[in-house]
Amino acid sequence: MSTVVGNRPALTWAVHLAVLFLVALWTLPTLGILVSSLRDKDQLAVSGWWTALTASERNIVARAAPPDEAEEEDGRWVLKGNVFEGSGGKAAAFGVSSREPSAFAVDETAELRDGATVTVAANGDYVVAYPQKPEGNRGQRIFVSSVEPPRFTTENYENVLFSEGLGKSFINTMTVTIPATVIPILIAAYAAYALAWMEFPGRALLLATIVGLLVVPLQMSLIPLLRLYNEVGIGKSFIGIWLAHTGFGLPLAIYLLRNYMAGLPREIIESAKVDGASDFEIFRKIILPLSFPALASFAIFQFLWTWNDLLVATVFLGNNEEQLVLTGRLRELLGSRGGNWEILTASAFVAIIVPILVFFAMQRYLVRGLLAGSVKGG
Amino acid sequence: MAMSSTIPTPTTGSPGPGGFLVTLAIALIIMLAGIVVSVVCAVAVFAALNAVLPDIKLVQAVLVMLLGVAACFGYFWGSNRILDTIYPARGVHIADNINKANGIRPWLFLGPAVVILGIYLVYPVVNSIFLSFHGPDGRQWVGGANYAWLATDAAFRESMFNNILWLLVVPAAATFFGLIAAALTDRIGWGNLAKSLIFMPMAISFVGASVIWKFIYDYRAEGTEQIGLLNAIVTFFGGEPQAWITLPLWNSFFLMVILIWIQTGFAMVILSAALRGIPEETIEAAIIDGASPFQIFYKIKVPQIWATIAVVWTTITILVLKVFDIVLAMTNGQWGSQVLANYMFDWMFRGLDFGRASTIALVIMAMVTPIMIWNIREARKDMK
Amino acid sequence: MKTSMLVGAVALALSCSAAYAADLKFAPGEDARFNWKSFEDFKAAHDLSGQEMSLFGPWLSADKDLIESVTAYFEEATGAKVNYSGSDSFEQQIVIDTQAGSAPNVAVFPQPGLAADLASKGLLVPLGSETADWMKEHYAAGQSWVDLGTYKGQDGAENFYGFSYKADLKSLVWYVPENFEDAGYEVPQTMEELKALSDQIVADGATPWCIGLGSGGATGWPATDWVEDLMLRTQAPEVYDQWVRNEIPFDDDRVAEAIDAFGAFARNDDYVDGGTSAVASTDFRDSPKGLFASPPKCYMHRQASFIPSFFPEGTELGRDADFFYFPAYAEKDLGTPVLGAGTIFAITKDSDVARAFIDFLKTPIAHEIWMAQAGFLTPFKDANPETYANDALRKQGEILTSATTFRFDGSDLMPGKIGAGAFWTGMIDYVGGKSAKEVGADVQKEWDAIK
Repeated sequence: MSTVVGNRPALTWAVHLAVLFLVALWTLPTLGILVSSLRDKDQLAVSGWWTALTASERNIVARAAPPDEAEEEDGRWVLKGNVFEGSGGKAAAFGVSSREPSAFAVDETAELRDGATVTVAANGDYVVAYPQKPEGNRGQRIFVSSVEPPRFTTENYENVLFSEGLGKSFINTMTVTIPATVIPILIAAYAAYALAWMEFPGRALLLATIVGLLVVPLQMSLIPLLRLYNEVGIGKSFIGIWLAHTGFGLPLAIYLLRNYMAGLPREIIESAKVDGASDFEIFRKIILPLSFPALASFAIFQFLWTWNDLLVATVFLGNNEEQLVLTGRLRELLGSRGGNWEILTASAFVAIIVPILVFFAMQRYLVRGLLAGSVKGG
Repeated sequence: MAMSSTIPTPTTGSPGPGGFLVTLAIALIIMLAGIVVSVVCAVAVFAALNAVLPDIKLVQAVLVMLLGVAACFGYFWGSNRILDTIYPARGVHIADNINKANGIRPWLFLGPAVVILGIYLVYPVVNSIFLSFHGPDGRQWVGGANYAWLATDAAFRESMFNNILWLLVVPAAATFFGLIAAALTDRIGWGNLAKSLIFMPMAISFVGASVIWKFIYDYRAEGTEQIGLLNAIVTFFGGEPQAWITLPLWNSFFLMVILIWIQTGFAMVILSAALRGIPEETIEAAIIDGASPFQIFYKIKVPQIWATIAVVWTTITILVLKVFDIVLAMTNGQWGSQVLANYMFDWMFRGLDFGRASTIALVIMAMVTPIMIWNIREARKDMK
Repeated sequence: MKTSMLVGAVALALSCSAAYAADLKFAPGEDARFNWKSFEDFKAAHDLSGQEMSLFGPWLSADKDLIESVTAYFEEATGAKVNYSGSDSFEQQIVIDTQAGSAPNVAVFPQPGLAADLASKGLLVPLGSETADWMKEHYAAGQSWVDLGTYKGQDGAENFYGFSYKADLKSLVWYVPENFEDAGYEVPQTMEELKALSDQIVADGATPWCIGLGSGGATGWPATDWVEDLMLRTQAPEVYDQWVRNEIPFDDDRVAEAIDAFGAFARNDDYVDGGTSAVASTDFRDSPKGLFASPPKCYMHRQASFIPSFFPEGTELGRDADFFYFPAYAEKDLGTPVLGAGTIFAITKDSDVARAFIDFLKTPIAHEIWMAQAGFLTPFKDANPETYANDALRKQGEILTSATTFRFDGSDLMPGKIGAGAFWTGMIDYVGGKSAKEVGADVQKEWDAIK
């Protein structure tokens, strides 16, 4: 292929740049959540993910130790501590009132109403000193403007990965996905062959019907099908969801495979027929191997679809511990009102890792299959 | 029927309507027998092995997959054998037998698919048609009232308008970008890596996708630091931050971007396969003729894979007709961004009116008619 | 082979349930605040060993643990097993499950409107007048709770279907006490004072309110709470009821007045953090965080009792944040109206265990177990307020029981298409600049369309 552009270096560069641009455009959003998912959740909410590597300026509200823990020191009652609580940072200014959160420079002394004083050093160490023994358990608030180093954490992932029941859900998803990916392909392949290479009345009509069925909104079929399941006695079970995914995936499978098979060279099939091969043999020995790339690419799509599915799973499987799938579990992790972006980002990433790996693994076969398929004539 | 006469097949002495029915009946009997036998066998084997194998779900899943595949093969092989036994391709009636067998065999191939499609898709459609003439609870006959309501409903017109916008923009853009990506990545060494990265959004669920795009479209009040990328760029160049998904009309386009972003990978994978299928000789001939790479691409490659482009276009168009997750998650149809599928969802689960929901569903299905007609014509062309 | 496996599975399930039942949060008989007698009495009266029931609700994660801590006592008392499952698409799933015939035994409805819809399709089982009478007698403002669970059945006859358990309080304004101290502000006692305070804050160069209406697919709902609260503060409760039942049109002047009262806050650029344009697009979960910023982005946030779960981590109620009652106008003699919400338990598939479970909810202990943990308010008069986990909850409990008028969240009572659709959209349009009258007319049109 390099022969095509090999003699035009400028064009080659243009191609490289263009692809780079496309890739950047397409990965940027995902990169955003990858970076976000590794960031500290306080920083995540206040600054853009692209600033993750730069030190950020933040205004924090720290609370000094409770006054009744003060210890006597040279006639004053003193509390000591650090406003950053070990997370690091550099204080630039501080204040003791929400009205003026950066009224004092570091090392200056701020005076409180009752004669107490507050000092904050650049490293965040604070000293609160009272003239008399103070009381109460509500610590003084200290407002600090600080420059914080970027903070990264794997805590978000730990939350998601080690949450209870994730492993079980993972297995449930696999249990749903494996048969639901493979079975429709075979059924569809036979049907696609019949639609592409066999003669029978009503073929075009049947094909059109299948295209029409592609568009049936899934929501419309949920209630009648679940009702049917309950009447037959399948209820909410894995069998039910395997069949459902098979049914919902079939039209696209047949459509894609038929189009691929119809494009296979006519001569091969006709010469096989002349040799006395039956349709069944032609399908098994010629069509199936030749269609491998199409089968593989459909397998990827069907896999992704069943893996990421939430709607079908919540309807045809129960929500209980034994049947909850990964997407359902992640949604549960988000909490009933789902507001934690740090959990959302990490869980979104956890969920896409397996499909990505599958794609990478399948891609080798995909490419090999594609090259094998290129024997076809025009 | 008209076309069968134009095709040079061994179906001489084509069967009359009665003959067709007999064919169908025999096909049906063999099909059912085949399905029942293979399913029963599979279940029996499953039960037997299940008692021996450890009670692990994943093992069962793999077992089911293997048995499913075996049952499928068993069915196709068995039913073909039965057919060959009934109409052996030898003896005195050989020509007649082959004809009859050829009439039946397609139905054996199609059998399981047709049965499953019938249950999972045709039955719900019929059910929807029934419901669309009934009231909210599906019991009371209301005639065409639901359709009459639809004709006057403003939200429906808004959804229709948006849907048409989506249909015009998304399939075209996704196919276009997919084609560009496929053509370019095929020419470079790290093409597979690039492909994988562009394909990646396909692997992200809609829930994940809406989280991702929240970090693009997020809006913070002017003067505070933006955490949405788009607004950060806008403010960097001195612009005023916008709450993007609340801008009428524009917001539809911002939502479309998400679907384009997801679907380009699909288009790229399929089109890349087609591009690689173009015979080298054709291209080499063009190079010798002195064609520039652009000419080769537009004048030789694109026409060669036209059928595949059409398939990709169709598939994405159909997906667009059904799109609702993105709209539901990002705006739920507010700020004038409603689309038909989400509107149907709304009537089904918020309005609890199955009649109206079904009516909207049927409109969605009706919108696919042009594509169906076009596909019939293509299929007829294929047969010649 | 198969049967032996089945027996094994059943045995396993039983042993699991036994393990569950033993896992009680508070050991029976130990803490004197709890009404253990009600537990023992219930235990003595019910034996349902080996039976099971399914319970389906909207609660997930932390809330799921809480409801399970309550059902554990039911399991302990009766020997029956309760399988709770939660879903955040509860509203859709309960529709699908009941329609398709795989309904759970008991469903927990966050919105009475949905329960009413299902009741009218004959998918709920009436609880009987005995339970209704019990509720009228034992719940504070009992009749209003009975009304909340009374719907028209398939035959058009009204019956009591929904048992209210767990209430939320909506009429709360959250603030940071120390910020008020720093600036010298006082907690306002009347609506007039609240407005004066807002103006004062503006005059001091700060922003009084954080308002966020964003909620993904449900964007707009926080505004409906505002309007309902203000409706109760500008009109008599009877007008509120008529509005909720659409006996007065949505574009009635009185409704428009309440919407404009909300507009006085939300459509005032000086009043809200980020200005009006930020209101519709700020997520309601992010919105309260402005209270805790330095310097504070705003001083007050009106939101229901659940909102502390979205405060920054480590926020201690009472110290770092507190709330006050969203006050009523002194000049309008309407008492102290309170807006609330809650969940409704209804039987969707009848069984002895399901009936017994509803009976269990009538025992004080069923309320106290949750009260003693988190986020649970109850109007049940026999439940001991001492068991509330903290002062904040106790204070909310007091607001609930001392209300002169209690009204349920109106948008939850309206048909789903309005209360969870047109009303939300209308409020977004209103914040976007449409007039209250126009918005009301739009909503009314949609309401007419579903009649």
